Amino acid sequence: MGLKSYSRARAVHVMLVYTGGCNGCDIEIVNCIFSPKYDAEQYKVFLTWNPREADVLVVTGPVTKHVEEPLKAIYESIPEPKAVVAAGACATMGGVYKNIYGDIPSEEIAGPVDEIIPVAAKIPGCAVRPEDVLSGVVAALPLLLNAK
Amino acid sequence: MDNDNKVTTQVIETEVPMGTIHSAALEPYRLRLFVEDEIVRDAELTVGVNHRGIERIMEGLPVEKANSLTEKICGICSNSHIWNSCLVAEKGLEIDVPPRAEYIRIIMEELERLHSHLLYLAHGSEVLGHETFAMRLFYIRETVMELLRMIGGNRVQYGASIIGGVRPRCDLDEMRIQKIIEGMDYVEEKVLDFADRFIRDPMVMSRISGIAAITKEDARRLATTGPSLRATGIGEDLRLDMKQYEPFEFDVITQDTGDVKANLLMRVLEIPESIKIIRQAIKDLPDGKITNRSWEMQDTDIIRSYIEVPRGKLYHSYKIEDGRVRNSIVRTPSITNINTMEFACIGTHITDAQLAIVQCDPCFTCTDRAVQIVDQPFRKNRII
Ligand code: SF4
Repeated sequence: MGLKSYSRARAVHVMLVYTGGCNGCDIEIVNCIFSPKYDAEQYKVFLTWNPREADVLVVTGPVTKHVEEPLKAIYESIPEPKAVVAAGACATMGGVYKNIYGDIPSEEIAGPVDEIIPVAAKIPGCAVRPEDVLSGVVAALPLLLNAK
Repeated sequence: MDNDNKVTTQVIETEVPMGTIHSAALEPYRLRLFVEDEIVRDAELTVGVNHRGIERIMEGLPVEKANSLTEKICGICSNSHIWNSCLVAEKGLEIDVPPRAEYIRIIMEELERLHSHLLYLAHGSEVLGHETFAMRLFYIRETVMELLRMIGGNRVQYGASIIGGVRPRCDLDEMRIQKIIEGMDYVEEKVLDFADRFIRDPMVMSRISGIAAITKEDARRLATTGPSLRATGIGEDLRLDMKQYEPFEFDVITQDTGDVKANLLMRVLEIPESIKIIRQAIKDLPDGKITNRSWEMQDTDIIRSYIEVPRGKLYHSYKIEDGRVRNSIVRTPSITNINTMEFACIGTHITDAQLAIVQCDPCFTCTDRAVQIVDQPFRKNRII
């Protein structure tokens, strides 16, 4: 393991972006990283709200038209190497908001996330389980650690 | 404050924008604070980033499907939405809900109130800068989340209510009842312990007493609802009028000052009341079936239903045509509490503005369905 990978593995910063879901996934993710029960901080995974600090971008929600551009901007401002994790049914396939098939189709949704920015890992669930969030972030880690 | 204006020769007026994505706020919203010498003179809070048009996509859905969609309005009070949405259909189709199902619904609702209030307190402590409190509260909240997962099968979005009762999966057997009783004992003990430490902490108290106070009259004028209204001294709680809550004894808690302290204490003191309701429901849990399936779909007029949810009054209405939902309207408590948040910011020091927002328990994902009509889109030029 090179020096870079070694130090990257010791401070994985996760940025959470909320793009119009129902808040269920977000609270579960914050819960999973912060709260004493799951406590991802013990594995040196930290939550940040500064894209320039972030390594992993966790996106929840179906990406409404309003946040499409900001999401791209956030993605652009994260330094390489970076990985995007789409969390929740909304982020992985548009969730109920995109695929409910009522009389009037939803026009507000630009997502799912992988149509807007490249996604490295997808976490299913509505809402995601904290255990799954951890394994999703871990699945995206090789991308960061093995980067030059 | 008017005097300041006269004395100072040069007024420093700045706009401090915050958001849309900001570390103190989980959800995206935009807050503009118009500041003069570090005192907030005016505030503007804009939502709309996560508008998904729930009511519009509900149009024409089968009633059962629409009910489960309402659950996706909010990940914090998901049970309240699906419950109220089922109540609308039950009212319109005149379906009797078996008593056991009513009790289980109440248990779910009160568990949800517990987790919502604990989340509020944790969020509040975090904004206060007291991370230890936040962590402790998150830990207590885990117990409630585990109970919700045990009953509903999921930590968020449990989908307990269906038309005519509750889902068979949510029935309570002996083991579950025992777990709930133990969980409630644990939560009560820990929350009282927390309350004691919280009240006796002079640092915390000095940070929250007298900040962003709202008077009764202002609360009425701004149509504040829920615990934020009760924190100003008005004991209005829709649970008193709901027939589902009739068998239960509980007190409506009020505070008088309407400031951040009153709001935080309000939620702390409501937790033992919810626990009281859950204990009574467990003790008197009636036997019998949990779903009434003998009903027929028919066309109805527009039916309305109000219930009390953790943040205040929730309104759902729709009419049924050929088993499909038409003209759905959802009105969540946060839409009126937004005005209160803006108002509470005015006159506070800029460092307290975030507290003033948080004191009203912001939840914008449910609020983002409304169409807002603003006559002056930019208030920046307004003379403050
Ligand atoms: S996946 Fe489910 S819980 Fe997560 S944001 Fe979407 S609707 Fe909410």
